Amino acid sequence: MGLLEKQDKIFLQEEFNKLANEVKINLFMSENDCIYCKDTKSILEEIAEISDKIKLSVFDMDKNKDIANKFKVERTPATILEGEKNNLVFYGIPAGYEFSSLIEDIIDLGNNDFDISEELKKFAETLDKDMNIKIFVTTSCPHCPKAVRTAHKLAMIAPNVRAEMIEAQEFPDLSSRYNVSAVPRVVINENTYFEGALPDQQYIEKIKEAI
Amino acid sequence: MGFSLGALKTKGKIKNSYDLIIIGGGPAGLTSAIYARRSGLDTLVIEQMITGGNIVSTEMVDNWPGDFNGVTGEELGNRMTKHAKRFGTDFLDEDIKSIELKGTIKVVNSGNREYTAKAIIIATGTHPKSINVPGEKIYKGHGISYCATCDAPFFKGKDIVVIGAGNSAIEESLYLLNFAKSITFVQDLPFITADKIVADEIKGKQNVKFYFEHLVKEFKGNNDKLTSIIAEDRKTGELKEINSEGCFVYIGLIPNTKLLANQIKLNKYGYIDAGEDTATSEKGVFVAGDVREKLLRQIVTAVSDGAVAAFQAKKYIDSIAGGNK
Repeated sequence: MGLLEKQDKIFLQEEFNKLANEVKINLFMSENDCIYCKDTKSILEEIAEISDKIKLSVFDMDKNKDIANKFKVERTPATILEGEKNNLVFYGIPAGYEFSSLIEDIIDLGNNDFDISEELKKFAETLDKDMNIKIFVTTSCPHCPKAVRTAHKLAMIAPNVRAEMIEAQEFPDLSSRYNVSAVPRVVINENTYFEGALPDQQYIEKIKEAI
Repeated sequence: MGFSLGALKTKGKIKNSYDLIIIGGGPAGLTSAIYARRSGLDTLVIEQMITGGNIVSTEMVDNWPGDFNGVTGEELGNRMTKHAKRFGTDFLDEDIKSIELKGTIKVVNSGNREYTAKAIIIATGTHPKSINVPGEKIYKGHGISYCATCDAPFFKGKDIVVIGAGNSAIEESLYLLNFAKSITFVQDLPFITADKIVADEIKGKQNVKFYFEHLVKEFKGNNDKLTSIIAEDRKTGELKEINSEGCFVYIGLIPNTKLLANQIKLNKYGYIDAGEDTATSEKGVFVAGDVREKLLRQIVTAVSDGAVAAFQAKKYIDSIAGGNK
């Protein structure tokens, strides 16, 4: 029994058939204290089976420290989509509404067509310093994918942006460190935050305030 | 834990010009799209957040006819989206900067691109009203929330406060009670305004308490987090401090009509002035769903508007084209 509904699988087949390029996905797991590692692996394997354009590699984080370091993986499960400029990061299971974020990211990367607004493009050109964006979500939050996708899109085109989705319930220590009690919560460079489900222009303004 | 694709934004080939543009992808907009496509109109739905609309932040919809066991808001929203997609509706998720409703060609500008249509259906819905008392801005996202499905897990085992006692407040509280230890309601009126069936259900719970005829005056905290809510007894003027780290606000809705100011007639509350025929003060512009002035804002009344608005748009487009092709 797969996790995907039959209809959704057919739909994904059609979408993935259109992909121009390979999309590399790296999953980092660990044996202990990882409630959703197994499910994350199952759903990613199911996606990878749909199309040979999607290349999934699965690593045990503790046994593959070098690779984990290379991808700057700090916790599991970590799903990392390899991008040309930056990698796109999902900490925790990309389920519920975030499943759409994952699929949209794959389609964007596979087509090398990011469908990014002019505002975001212009803003990306002005970024010259490293930036870390954490987007805290819950999988039942319908507003969250917008916040995740805006950050991921920025990471697709800007030089040094690391954008990490973090499923808040799986990482309670992080959620409490960043004082998360509502989602989406976007944290920029560790020290500033904002409520993230905003139109691009306002999102950009908030990032500007933060940096 | 599901892996649903209902809300997936796929990139169709979006054209510059359509017969009909529907602003808003909630139940009203999606129903308009279904009816418009079936009547042969080339149709674009623009939704900047998530298709399905506000219902996707509702845990359970229990009054949607036919779903006799109830249906989650997420599931219903996904199904309506898929239904509109099945008939070939185009979807766009850009933010809208301006809309020009006058004249025979309607123009929607996203900042990046302009889209034109012969007719427009406005189905922009509403957003939750803020309470506008000191502390709300500071503790929004730090204890104050407007979305139970999003944020309920953060209040596991906590004593929380819900402001309001209408349908949204009570229905969402029944969901919040799966997480919270207790709920204290602060309601300005002397009674629960929600439907009797849910009112009775909440009254049957052990861990709820009601402050009727109380007004919230202030949110207090330690700068990082909400710690208490100050409520005033309307009869005696007495101020009470309710200790709580979490507060969900359900005190009503505000119509999303900002982009339409000065272009079509609104009522004094900002809702679009239109009757059951969904016709606005501007020719070729129709309105469907919660953003229309109406007696009852429900999914069933929204989808009803959606069908009427699409029917009207078709009739209008045929009339300017000089008859049915």
